[in-house]
Amino acid sequence: METYESIKKWKDAHISSYLLSNVSLNEFHDQVMLKVLHVAMGKIEWSKPPCEFIWFITGSGGRFEQGLISDQDHGIVYEISNEENDQYFKVLGEELSYGMDCVGYPYCNGNIMSSNPIWCKSLEQWRTQIIHWMENESWESIRYLQIFYDARVLYGNTNYIQQLKSIILEYQLEHPSLLSRFVANVKHIKSVIGPMGQILVEQHGVYQGCINLKYAAFLPYVNSIRLLSIKEGVYKTSTLERIEQLKKKVRYKDLLQYSFENFSTLITYRMSLFHSKNYDDTHYLNIKKLSKEQRKQLKRILKDGKKLHDSVVELTFLKS
Amino acid sequence: MEAVQVLMDNLWVGIGAILVFFMLGGFILLEAGSTRMKNAGHIAGKTIFTAGIGTLVFWAVGYGFIYGDGNPFIGLSNFFYGDASAPEGGLTTAVDFSFQVMFALVSLTIAFGGFAERAKLSVYVIFAILFSAFIYPVVAHWIWGGGWLAEHGKQDFAGSTVVHLTGAMAALAATMILKPRIGKYNKDGSSNVLAGHNQVYTTLGVLILWVGWFGFNGASTFGVADGFFGYVILNTQLAAGAGAVAAMFTAWAKTGKADVPTTLNGALAGLVAITASCGFVAPWAAVVIGLIGGIMVVFSMQLFEKLKIDDPIAALSVHGTVGVWGTLSNGLFALPALSTDIDWGQAGLFYGGGWEQLGVQALGVVASGAYAFVISFIILKIMDKVMGGLRVSEEEEIMGLDMSEHGSYGYPEQMALEEAKLTTAATKEKFS
Repeated sequence: METYESIKKWKDAHISSYLLSNVSLNEFHDQVMLKVLHVAMGKIEWSKPPCEFIWFITGSGGRFEQGLISDQDHGIVYEISNEENDQYFKVLGEELSYGMDCVGYPYCNGNIMSSNPIWCKSLEQWRTQIIHWMENESWESIRYLQIFYDARVLYGNTNYIQQLKSIILEYQLEHPSLLSRFVANVKHIKSVIGPMGQILVEQHGVYQGCINLKYAAFLPYVNSIRLLSIKEGVYKTSTLERIEQLKKKVRYKDLLQYSFENFSTLITYRMSLFHSKNYDDTHYLNIKKLSKEQRKQLKRILKDGKKLHDSVVELTFLKS
Repeated sequence: MEAVQVLMDNLWVGIGAILVFFMLGGFILLEAGSTRMKNAGHIAGKTIFTAGIGTLVFWAVGYGFIYGDGNPFIGLSNFFYGDASAPEGGLTTAVDFSFQVMFALVSLTIAFGGFAERAKLSVYVIFAILFSAFIYPVVAHWIWGGGWLAEHGKQDFAGSTVVHLTGAMAALAATMILKPRIGKYNKDGSSNVLAGHNQVYTTLGVLILWVGWFGFNGASTFGVADGFFGYVILNTQLAAGAGAVAAMFTAWAKTGKADVPTTLNGALAGLVAITASCGFVAPWAAVVIGLIGGIMVVFSMQLFEKLKIDDPIAALSVHGTVGVWGTLSNGLFALPALSTDIDWGQAGLFYGGGWEQLGVQALGVVASGAYAFVISFIILKIMDKVMGGLRVSEEEEIMGLDMSEHGSYGYPEQMALEEAKLTTAATKEKFS
């Protein structure tokens, strides 16, 4: 019988053979997490779930961009709220967070986990909560909405997530000001190209001379592509798939001309960092170790990312 | 009329002495703000008692070594200086002494910048005595006391070389022997920021130094005739402003962030740079000198960091590197109207003075810098051997010099809190 310990052992033993591509690595993570779900379900008293439910992951996992190690981001949507169901999914949510931690997905600092009642609700409660988030428009609730928009179903056969995302789309079409709130939430990006056109690197510490890929390179792409996806009702979660869908619209063709290629390259760079044991390590790329050509390419990608980000901010602000 | 002028001259230099002494207040805030909380009381307090030691030594022998009758290397009279005499038509001995002693204290305080956060208290005591007797006075004699560099025509209006470079060279010797603070460098050679605990203190410290500099430079006219001190103050102000602006833009261009401590060091760099030239150059040249000083200080700080020379207060860059530039700038920008035409030295390279004055300035820098560095290094090395190391133990450095050297923290409540956290963590670890 499988346990968290045995899953962890299996994961640690096999993960290195999935480091060749981003897709295989993320499929492997999915597999591991599904195993955790099954063990968790087996561990609680009920013989089987009392109603339909889905378990989703979000964050980098939701976007299918998980690295070697990342913290857990997940939630549950279940069919109907009643005393028994509420109790079951509360216990399952807590068990899942614990199990994920055991297997090597550390607890999420932002508490985006099924063990948090905010992220474990019935469909109806979710609907209310999402509308509340949109009406509330606070910095935190807007951030929650963006996180939710990256949700991808890992277990379950119903289209709950799609239903919930469509609420966001409809609301957003009626209330264009919402988009501006989304923009404001991600407007700030770390500046990576200096006034003299140089790549800005960490000045001190053990990552001296490195750039932080996550903040400097990935986020401008991830955030601006998500913004466009919310605006256009694209329900895909991976940034690359979102770009492909968005590119089909003529008005984005120029804007996104290089985005797919750039983002794929970034993923490749990050894959090249996957040999370290430390979570932080996988974000830091030492540009001194790159060839001149690579540095040039990276600089172009960073510049494109900033341009994309600025254009999307402008675009979404203007239309609102 | 003449009597009034003599009185005014004495009064002005007396005010200058007060202003220069108040610069120590600036250093207290600058140094304390630039270092960590656990050393704040120590850093501030040591400035007061080393000022005490420096004053006594300067009175006993320092002043005599500079201005006494002697040879081109050192003066040898006027020990235990001072009386109530008032020579006709000049400064009283007491006013002159008061002004001079403050410069020595400033130089001493600059030197101690290189000792910050790791030297034993006893090291401060001994080095304060030796520096005030054998290092500062010798260089000051060479340039200001009629020594051999003065004979060569070295121009240093208020002390870019004498005060700033001398202090910085002692600081360099100290940093090299003391080695970097714990945690400054990682095993792979990269460096960490050991951020100062209070940028507001540091900023206020810089502003106080800036104000004090009006005395430092302005009263170095030694009189009020023609109101020339106003011109000196104008140049000082322009260079300081230019230094701050230049450093901020340089930091921003390099890193994308307008770093506050760097900007502050830029203002100081402007001040140090103009010190040698404030009475010699045109206002536009003061701006140029300040701008270059402000840019230099940023790169100099980076260079020292790369060389693994841990300089917590940036004393080496601000007073050393920029002190050199300030002295050389005199050989470039000195106006004939403020030098040759009034029998007050030579014009600079850009005004037909040729390479000669620049050469003299360079010689002054090299000779003074080398003397201050070598003697400081030897003295500190001997102290190192005799005193069983210059540096506090690792444990003491971690607990902070406030506690290890003085028995109480500058921020008692804060540090008690930190300690409590540490103890709880340690206990938890043990019993869980």
